Amino acid sequence: MKPQPLVLKILNIVSALLLAGAFAMAMWYAPVEKVMGAVQKVFYFHVAVAWVGMLGFLAAAVAGIIYLRTRDLKWDIVEVAAVEISLVFFLIAIALGSIWARPAWGTYWTWEPRLTTAAILEMIYIALLLLRQSLEEPEKRARFSAVYTLVGSISVPITFLSIRFSRTIHPVVIGPGGSADTGMMPEMLATMFVSLAVFSVIFVTLFWHRIRLGQMAEKVEQARLKAMQ
Amino acid sequence: MEPTPDTIAYMIAGYTVFAVVMAIYLASLAVRFRRLRRDLSLLDGIETK
Amino acid sequence: MDDRPLTADRKSPSTVRRPSSGYLKAILAIAWKDLASELRSRELLSAMLVFALLVILIFNFALELDVATRGAVTSGVLWVTFAFAGTLGLNRSMAIEKDRGCLDGLLLAPVDRSAIYFGKFLSNLAFMFIVEAIVLPVYSVLYNVNLFNPGLLLVILLGSVGYVAVGTLLSSMAVQTRTRDVLLPILLFPVAVPVLVAAVKASSGFLQGLAFAEIAPYVNQLIVYDVIFIAVAFMVFDYVVEE
Repeated sequence: MKPQPLVLKILNIVSALLLAGAFAMAMWYAPVEKVMGAVQKVFYFHVAVAWVGMLGFLAAAVAGIIYLRTRDLKWDIVEVAAVEISLVFFLIAIALGSIWARPAWGTYWTWEPRLTTAAILEMIYIALLLLRQSLEEPEKRARFSAVYTLVGSISVPITFLSIRFSRTIHPVVIGPGGSADTGMMPEMLATMFVSLAVFSVIFVTLFWHRIRLGQMAEKVEQARLKAMQ
Repeated sequence: MEPTPDTIAYMIAGYTVFAVVMAIYLASLAVRFRRLRRDLSLLDGIETK
Repeated sequence: MDDRPLTADRKSPSTVRRPSSGYLKAILAIAWKDLASELRSRELLSAMLVFALLVILIFNFALELDVATRGAVTSGVLWVTFAFAGTLGLNRSMAIEKDRGCLDGLLLAPVDRSAIYFGKFLSNLAFMFIVEAIVLPVYSVLYNVNLFNPGLLLVILLGSVGYVAVGTLLSSMAVQTRTRDVLLPILLFPVAVPVLVAAVKASSGFLQGLAFAEIAPYVNQLIVYDVIFIAVAFMVFDYVVEE
């Protein structure tokens, strides 16, 4: 395996610095929210990882479709890389959300549409990893996981809509009825958008590493087949 | 106006969870890289024999 | 199955497309084959049925289904029962194909691959309906609830269609993996959540005699889900069975 390219090495350092910057901004630049207190500062990372994780799952579905079209195994590596990192990001989003919800709503968990959908999304992609584990042929594994990613990514929005009929208590941050009545100060909004950008960069860095890992695994697999002959 | 509640413990818990999960994931990536590198050098050794 | 001698059928399905009457005939032939062999052995239906009745029995103890709680949980109990019995049937019906080598035979047949999907879909749906047709009256008698409500029957029809549509696709994937039977519920349940949510809500709406305007959104959801997932399965089934 080739050593890490220079751009990736730079990205590593930039990601770490940006993360520190975003953390500092959330701590000391964004003001303390008056109603909820310090715990509201968790929200900047929560929103950022949730959004970037969501985009990651979307990217995985797209990579799956491209795989089915091109039958090029590199797209399978891209797909599983996106799924894995998004799973980690989403797990963090759910955990941070729960910690925020405890003082804000008085409970760690409630079966509210977004939380429920997030949990189901997490389950679908864990199921995907289990499916991959029980398939050995790389080609079939790629094909099946592309199909399942596609089915999952269609089912998730329908799940969200189907639960949304019940009343939601999750705050809507962006969109109609957004920032005006959630009382976000400009410093808070700025912090939120900075975190979003920072986590996008972190995602790209991790993604790159994970793709390299996938390529290396493929290489080992080929070497193993060769050695067995 | 109500006084702002003291929720700093939750904030610390939140960022700790974030750091821990990230650290675990990075460690898992590192472990997998190391294993693959070891396998690769092992297989290369077999091939050159 | 990797040592299958023939590779003549690897052409894209469009090149082997038959006239539409042949397509329909193929679907019906596959569904009929399943039903006929089931009529002889009855192994799948009896397992599904006994399992469904046991689930209801367990719910009786687990939930203390007295008169007061019954009204609120009936639709939930019914759908959990159908979903569990459904996975059992889906798993078995695909496993039979696979073990007896029927699937390979079917794949060699000069029909569009999607005909196999729709054939299996129909027979799985038929098994599901038979189980439901027996469970409903038994539940009515055991718990003294009248379940013969045209609205409820409509919901059961729509919900089963959606569940079986995804289930047939996923079971043909699960059956080709190493973990097989264990994998199907894990793959199917999270994806089938929208059908189950909408079906439970709509069923309990009909059972409580709500106005149709209040139930309509859930019924619409079921229809949307059915259409979308039948279409998706139709498009991707080729990728699941190709060799």
